[in-house]
Amino acid sequence: MTRVQQLLFSMDSPYLGHPYFVTGHALYSALARRVDAVTRQSIAVSHGVFLPQAYGSPVEGTASVRPGAKLGSSLPDVESYADLFLFRDAAHRWVSASRPRDVTNTHPLQRYRDRVAFADSALVSRPTGTQGTARRVSWAAQCYVHVGDDASADVLPLDEAVLDGLRVGGSRNYGFGELSLLDSQVIALDELEYSRLRAADDYRLELVTPYVLASQFPGADGQDVPWWWDVQGRAASGGLRRRATRLVDGADVYDLQTVDHGQTVPYAGDNSVETAKNGVTRVGTHSRYGFGELRVRPADTDRVPERAEGRARGEI
Amino acid sequence: MVVSDVPDGVTGESNDGADEVSVLVAYRHDVHKARGRSHEHAAEWFRDVPVNESVPVHADRDAALLSRPRGRPADTLPAHESQRRVPLLAGEQSLLDDVGDADAALYELVAMESPAALHEAWLDASVPALFSESVYYPATSLKYHTVLVAALLDNYRAGHAFEELWLAVTSHGPGEAATVVPHRTVLTTPWFALHVTGEPGEWPAARLGDVPAQSFADVWARLPNHPFDVDGQRWWRVLDAQLRRIRSWSTALQYIEAVTTALNTDESATPVAGWSA
Repeated sequence: MTRVQQLLFSMDSPYLGHPYFVTGHALYSALARRVDAVTRQSIAVSHGVFLPQAYGSPVEGTASVRPGAKLGSSLPDVESYADLFLFRDAAHRWVSASRPRDVTNTHPLQRYRDRVAFADSALVSRPTGTQGTARRVSWAAQCYVHVGDDASADVLPLDEAVLDGLRVGGSRNYGFGELSLLDSQVIALDELEYSRLRAADDYRLELVTPYVLASQFPGADGQDVPWWWDVQGRAASGGLRRRATRLVDGADVYDLQTVDHGQTVPYAGDNSVETAKNGVTRVGTHSRYGFGELRVRPADTDRVPERAEGRARGEI
Repeated sequence: MVVSDVPDGVTGESNDGADEVSVLVAYRHDVHKARGRSHEHAAEWFRDVPVNESVPVHADRDAALLSRPRGRPADTLPAHESQRRVPLLAGEQSLLDDVGDADAALYELVAMESPAALHEAWLDASVPALFSESVYYPATSLKYHTVLVAALLDNYRAGHAFEELWLAVTSHGPGEAATVVPHRTVLTTPWFALHVTGEPGEWPAARLGDVPAQSFADVWARLPNHPFDVDGQRWWRVLDAQLRRIRSWSTALQYIEAVTTALNTDESATPVAGWSA
């Protein structure tokens, strides 16, 4: 019985770390010094995805949102598998179209001497010559924690006092990268609704975070692209995008080779629900620190909801 | 309330006569927005040049759907009175304000009779980047909407349907000229170029999908290679991270222009110095 504890943090100061996510390793390191040895040895931490606290509504899944409430200021209920991913894609397609969405969801940047930080909030102004005042958009980060072995399952949920006030990223001793806890909830993966997946015949896998192919970390195994990723069809258009990245552990820096996140591949396995659950607790090397998070999507759905709308209107 | 552009409505576009109409019409079709006029009240002539004509084969409609929601602009949206674009990058405004005679610059962008030269002039233009493509969507870019209309029109006329189109990327060395395919190159920067084309050849490319939609973040994330050195410099990772957020095509292309312009003009911000932290 795998449980995950979803966590939502508000950004309380600008962030100077990894640009795509707060890495699971950064979050783990910040947590590890605050918990007991059993917890430290058993928890696995996902990457933290940044999101704006904004009005909107989910475009898929079954999560319901209180009318008039901002998403991103609390964690919506999770009933179906798709609900897990509401805040896991940086495009945040739930952001309401009643305000300029790309203005809301482009992370504001701030310069500190020669460095660029992601701001914790920004005033979004209206065009010159128009009425109305600027409004402030605050930013948050969402991640989740789970426990690798059932024997220490009772370390979840982590206590709020442990989670509040984490500091992540560069210059965190100078006030950058402060996170305060907004919300927390525990979800049992086996109790979620998977009927949408069960009803489908073909699937695509979305790489929510990078998948590690090789790591300099002592004892880490190299990995091939899994057999259940159908990558044959991609050869003509250049194959999978690979990336070099680093895992920073104290004073030590380890080079990693990864398959970059955001890509999609057809699923060649035969147990979509099991793969879906494993994708949440992640696969491959350094999965404990956020790498290898996957989403299984029925092939007849699209992560761009407007495409389905266009198809329905016959705009092909 | 004047609804000046209705992406999904009957806009007088026609599928007939595609071959007879020059691609010039794409570059000239929306210039009224930069001159403070609605479609209905726009002049049909800009001095001696016919403007504000319908673009054939739904290229204008499809380009609009790449960058803004379909349907009539939501009534809940405050009706902005200004066609001025809202910049997404802090500091961009000062660059935006530094333009001279806007009307003269706009005339240059409709008057050229050489289609290829006109295309390149639009890629280099700054004045149409001052304006949004719709008063209801102030972060969109009139410049990149226009360039996308021309790219779709050129592809459609070559027989490529929308679902056969790709976003392709090319990069080039310092001081070298960007690779430009007439009408299909939609963005050039000092380091790389983006193209919307039915014939990507050997270039890294990702399909746009079967219907036009605000899909930039999705398509960008599926590219088999990104055209800049994300692993080398943090600035490129910051830009890459933002491009996985931005859904509107004209907004995204304009954002890339803003960031690369800042990198290119600000000594302390060049990708070779100081931004690696």
